[in-house]
Amino acid sequence: MPTPPMPEEARRAAETLRRADVVIGIPSYNNARTITHVVRAAYAGLAKYFPQLTAVVINSDGGSTDGTREAVLSAHVEDSRLLLLSTPTVAAHRLSLPYHGIPGKGSAFRLVFQLAKELGAKACAVVDSDLRSITPEWIDLLLRPILFANYDFVAPYYHRHKYDGTITNSIVYPLTRALYGVRIRQPIGGEFGMSAAVYERYLERDDWETDVARFGIDIWMTTIAVAEGFRVCQSFLGAKLHDAKDPAADLTAMLHQVVGSVFTLMEEYDHRWRAITGSEPAELFGFRFDVGVEAIQVNVKRMIDAFCRGSRELAEIWAETLHPETWAAVADLSRHAHDPGVPFHIEDELWARVVLDMACAYHHHRVGRGHILRSLTPLYLARVASFVLETESLLSAQVEDRMEQLCLTFERMKPYLVEQWNGRAASKSASAEGRHAAAPKTRQEV
Amino acid sequence: MVATLQQVLEGVLLRLKHHITTFLPSLLAALILFLVAYLAAIAARWMVYRIFKGLTIDRFLRQSGVVFMLDRSGRVRATRIVAESVYWAILLAGILTGLSVFDTQLTTQMIESFVFLLPKMVVAGLILLAGGWLAQYLGRSMLVWAVNEGLPAPRRMAAAVRVVIMFVAVVVAADQLNFARNVFLAAFIILVGGAALAASLAFGLSGGATLRRVLDERREEAGEVREGESRDRSLWNHL
Repeated sequence: MPTPPMPEEARRAAETLRRADVVIGIPSYNNARTITHVVRAAYAGLAKYFPQLTAVVINSDGGSTDGTREAVLSAHVEDSRLLLLSTPTVAAHRLSLPYHGIPGKGSAFRLVFQLAKELGAKACAVVDSDLRSITPEWIDLLLRPILFANYDFVAPYYHRHKYDGTITNSIVYPLTRALYGVRIRQPIGGEFGMSAAVYERYLERDDWETDVARFGIDIWMTTIAVAEGFRVCQSFLGAKLHDAKDPAADLTAMLHQVVGSVFTLMEEYDHRWRAITGSEPAELFGFRFDVGVEAIQVNVKRMIDAFCRGSRELAEIWAETLHPETWAAVADLSRHAHDPGVPFHIEDELWARVVLDMACAYHHHRVGRGHILRSLTPLYLARVASFVLETESLLSAQVEDRMEQLCLTFERMKPYLVEQWNGRAASKSASAEGRHAAAPKTRQEV
Repeated sequence: MVATLQQVLEGVLLRLKHHITTFLPSLLAALILFLVAYLAAIAARWMVYRIFKGLTIDRFLRQSGVVFMLDRSGRVRATRIVAESVYWAILLAGILTGLSVFDTQLTTQMIESFVFLLPKMVVAGLILLAGGWLAQYLGRSMLVWAVNEGLPAPRRMAAAVRVVIMFVAVVVAADQLNFARNVFLAAFIILVGGAALAASLAFGLSGGATLRRVLDERREEAGEVREGESRDRSLWNHL
């Protein structure tokens, strides 16, 4: 599918600017409250770390009605109090453009990449517009490995609250790591740096009009970079703090788009991941330090109730998507969810089996794909509730150890995944192998 | 007396002979046609099996998900359905051709009715099939949505969606066949009218609560949280 033409406004801007070495993209939709800070950080980062380069900061907006675009264009960026070791030869340009197509972050990125290509940018970084913790150093950390160390793709690495980023922690990180064998801790972090080769590869693809146009974009970008053999690294950015939002808002859509993208890419790259065993760490740049993160409220009871309700009502779908043993274990769990004195808990192996069974059901079209993905929400909430209860008293470092155990379980369950993926009837030996594989010999390997 | 009896018997035999000479060739021709059709049907069924097997149609349909749209168990085999359809179509054509040999008013009427009704029956069948699939799909969509939104009685809502869609499919199929049009139309109007009335009542009764919730959300967005109330907005991000 040929790349669609850029909107007229963007085309005129590209003609005026003609070229740029570096592009910073900021997607937005009604982020007037926070975007000024992000724009200022991007400007300061470019001025401080890349004064010799021509740069453009592009806000790609989805039709905000709260004055986001005006906030971008009027942000005061010539701050004399910034510590600049060298004076920029040219000030970075600033654009705020509306993108066309499906409303979503992916469509916003597409316009940024199109402009970057048009301007011949050597590197491009994208950052979320609701960030409160972004500093000028983030721009350096996202771009320097591309510009000066020949990396193609830089993923973020943050300190987050132990309950923050639960789709990442429960599904995307363990599954992506087990599939492609590279440990990228925040594959859907939202802030990325990439070379011209990578963003041009993205633009070549014809799946922009799918879930990629929305929340699926982050995992799509990371997976392509990893699966297609680009040089990938991570940069430590400190803490990730963002604007407050209702955690229940769009949860099902988020899960649908993110997990749907993971499953779809699994089909495309199955020749790449089948033979991979274990995983390798990705290079990590930046000076690591401990930071305090804000407390997060989680309503565990509500999540367990949602799971029990899902187990009661969605039995007809889960029975078809999950392996009979997995389904039996899930049903048993929901029956005893409210037993007094027994804490609600989902074993790592059971959770891995749920995710892998869903991936295989998606691959084999056992039920409508949208139904499979949407029916995952109650199961995901159960996993989050279990994780919260299990890690209530643990410190962040201990929680990371627990995460590592989960990831190793996913890696050991890979033979089970391959067997189910191939469509063979699950034999008892296969599940026994999975159980044996997931037995806790993880401590030494961590 | 004997002569009369002989005359009657001769008449009967003549009539029998006439009937036999008139109908037996037709019957034989009909039987031969039926036999040929039967053999052709078996041969065609065998060929369809071989061709579809060679093209791995079943595997393609299973992998593309079409089979699961029609049958949740995934046991439906397109090859079998097509082969059996071809077999029965040829067999039916053979029977009709055989009947047409007799060239009576009854057989002509039967054939005409059948030929006239067949396309309509096929269309009605397809409508019911499509309705069944749509009812199943939308019913499940409603079920999953209602569960995720925490609405009461999701399975009943899903069942209601399925019933309504199937009912619409039956009405359209019946209309296609000119069968009890008025009855189905009246039932359809009653159903839709009832649903509209129920929706109006539900909207009216729950409108107050919804309005209160919307206003609360707006107030919270504006940062006006009253003392003692908890903010359901958090720094928790799923991604």
